[in-house]
Amino acid sequence: MRTRSYMVGLAFMSPALVVLIGFFFLPVVLTAVFAFTNMSTSTGISGGSYVVTGNLLTALKENGVPVEIADALSKASFVVDPEGIAKARDAGTDPAFLAEIEQQLGGRTFTDERLFERELKTLQHRPRSIRDLKLAVDQFELSILNSRFTSESAARQAIATFLPSAPADTVDQIVEASYTGWTWTTANFKQLFSTSDTWRIVLNTVFYVAVTLSFTVFVGLFLAVTTFYLPAGAASAFSMLWLLPRITPIVLYAVMWKWFTWEGGFLYTAADALGLPAFNYMKGSVPTAWTIVIMVNGFIGAAFAMILFSSALKAIPVQQLWASEVDGASRWQQIRYIILPHLRWPILFVTSYQTLSLLSSYQEIWLTTNGGPGRTTTVWALESFNTALNSYTGNLQYGLGAAMALILVIVGVSLSIIYLRLFRFDELLGRPKIEF
Amino acid sequence: MQIVLKDFTKTFDGNTVIDRMNLTVEDGEMLALLGPSGCGKSTTLFAVCGIHRVNGGQILFGDRDVSNLPSQQRNVGVVFQNYALYPHMSVFENIAFPLTVRKDSKADVDRAVRDIAELTHISELLERRPGQLSGGQQQRVALARALVRKPDVLLLDEPLANLDAKLRLEMRSEIRRIQLETGITAILVTHDQVEAMSMCERIAIMKGGKIIQIDTPKDMYSNPRTSFVAGFLGNPPISFLKGRAEAGGFVLDDGSLRLPLPVASQIPDGTDLTVGIRPEHFGRAGDVPISGKVIFAETQGRENLYDVALPDGSVLRSVQPAQDDVRAGDSVSWKLESAAALVFAEDGRRL
Ligand SMILES: Nc1ncnc2c1ncn2[C@@H]1O[C@H](COP(=O)(O)OP(=O)(O)O)[C@@H](O)[C@H]1O
Ligand SMILES: [Mg+2]
Repeated sequence: MRTRSYMVGLAFMSPALVVLIGFFFLPVVLTAVFAFTNMSTSTGISGGSYVVTGNLLTALKENGVPVEIADALSKASFVVDPEGIAKARDAGTDPAFLAEIEQQLGGRTFTDERLFERELKTLQHRPRSIRDLKLAVDQFELSILNSRFTSESAARQAIATFLPSAPADTVDQIVEASYTGWTWTTANFKQLFSTSDTWRIVLNTVFYVAVTLSFTVFVGLFLAVTTFYLPAGAASAFSMLWLLPRITPIVLYAVMWKWFTWEGGFLYTAADALGLPAFNYMKGSVPTAWTIVIMVNGFIGAAFAMILFSSALKAIPVQQLWASEVDGASRWQQIRYIILPHLRWPILFVTSYQTLSLLSSYQEIWLTTNGGPGRTTTVWALESFNTALNSYTGNLQYGLGAAMALILVIVGVSLSIIYLRLFRFDELLGRPKIEF
Repeated sequence: MQIVLKDFTKTFDGNTVIDRMNLTVEDGEMLALLGPSGCGKSTTLFAVCGIHRVNGGQILFGDRDVSNLPSQQRNVGVVFQNYALYPHMSVFENIAFPLTVRKDSKADVDRAVRDIAELTHISELLERRPGQLSGGQQQRVALARALVRKPDVLLLDEPLANLDAKLRLEMRSEIRRIQLETGITAILVTHDQVEAMSMCERIAIMKGGKIIQIDTPKDMYSNPRTSFVAGFLGNPPISFLKGRAEAGGFVLDDGSLRLPLPVASQIPDGTDLTVGIRPEHFGRAGDVPISGKVIFAETQGRENLYDVALPDGSVLRSVQPAQDDVRAGDSVSWKLESAAALVFAEDGRRL
């Protein structure tokens, strides 16, 4: 009996489990994986190769690679060997000239391009045009700089032949640094914890969530209670009006706020006519920008809170309200002692739900102030979105962005656990009422 | 405090539920508003406590017109049908609520709550929540909350309807005891005639928003003004015979039964009449013999109940001391006390 009901329960849950794994668990796992890499647009998300670039050499010099080794790497040398001959032949150099090169100069190495060129000019079958000569010269060039090695061993060997005298650990360092693909790293977290910018954004986020949440709960409560005391017709019209922010598509809603607050918009014009300071309130000053960010998000939440609170209010037995009135409670006392206690769970629910959705939402801010002016209204979710998916410089730092997202997930999950404790969710989830 | 309703009228959405009701409840009296459900008892009660506003007429407490006062200012205690306790407060807080909202000092509240808890026998429950109480205990808490601030008037809306039979019996006498001890003027709304008869000084019986008769339980039982009142009071209920007046008496429509009735002497022959006979007036003793067939017999331990079908199909109820000589299906020839018969005109008026 017990196992059967267990199986039935599992069968009922399986679609939910699939959805849970597919849409919640997998993204979190992927985020966690990405967070420990240095993936970005330049590394790509598949493997890479080994390339020593000029920039890399500059960086290596700063990181303790001896200057002479770095400089040596940046130099080209010209080696007359069968490979070079073959390359030149492919490039269309006169075979007679090539034969002569092989015979006269075979096995020699030149460190200076001009020297090599001068040597070639002395040969009998040298080409007439300088261009063809240069072409031939280029084929013998052997350089580590900007050549691409597909495997680590190839890169190591090339460097070793180029710099036979370099110490092994220096070669290791160069090879490792020359890798263009992504690698595992904890650098993202180190970077996050060490920049002062991070703390700035954390503070912004805490401020944003706390104030928007309070706004949501208080406005939601106010709306629900006022509509509760209104006559039925007026109440439903009134609550429909307040639902608009919730049901308007977010882009349209953001555009409406822009019309409302930008230069030449409603507020601007009104303030101008009244002789009050008129400017682009959305982006013109930090206090107005915050006010607008909080209201834009707060009204959406308040509409949601209002619905929940209203339905909880309707569930209060009317006799309790009557009883409180004959007991002598004023309207305010009725709200304070009867109505608010009945709204305890909805308030807790809205608080926890909205904390989580505010923590992870950035669309509204992105579409309105876009984190400005400066970065004053940038919150964590927006910053991680910009880092990972929306960089101005074009280098999207997936790894760093994922690290930021992972921190958000950890904070969110911890908060959920705390809230579930508060809700005493286990009590709500008692034994099933119907037995199989 | 005397309560007076003068031409009290109440309409819901243009639908008149109570039309010009007049009622006086004397100081210290407990009056029952008795009637079938939907007749407007609760509406009347809620108008008295101010939950409903009157649409016409006046409500007076003593000589104070409270018709337009909000319920907060009427100083009434109400016990609601489902008790309407505040589930998030302890019993103590529930009872203290009327005092807390008027900001009495903590010491006063504490003393008043403990006094009233003692009166209602719930002193040991004060720390509990309403959800942890039985129906009878909740009832007492509701009563304590209604009484704690010494209201001028106590209103009870079907206070016993949600209790089981034994508790109902117990709470009936409890409520009456408390009402007598406090000497408070009370209105009890009920659809149960036993409750009304056992608890109240007077009963106002209502039908369709009107008061049909106000009387003491005893007078109302023996001297009902209409057939509705006669039918409403009494358990087992009265049985009615339909027939007509003939030669100073009553005969069934098929002429089979003839009852001599003093009142019938002034009634023209052929007038349609209804005669009500209470079950205790039909049995082994009486002056008019009646034969019929027992169609239903039931014992209640001390008494037996019989339904006897007469040849024309009408049914008389009889209640007799328990004995088991008669069973369903038996033919019996019993007697009826014609002097106790109640005679009603076709429209239900008592003659
Ligand atoms: N709030 C209301 N709105 C509309 N009609 C109501 C309302 N309250 C009561 N009524 C109507 O008034 C009549 C009397 O109701 P009520 O006083 O509750 O009866 P009861 O005697 O059973 O307590 C009923 O027909 C009921 O439908
Ligand atoms: Mg009622």
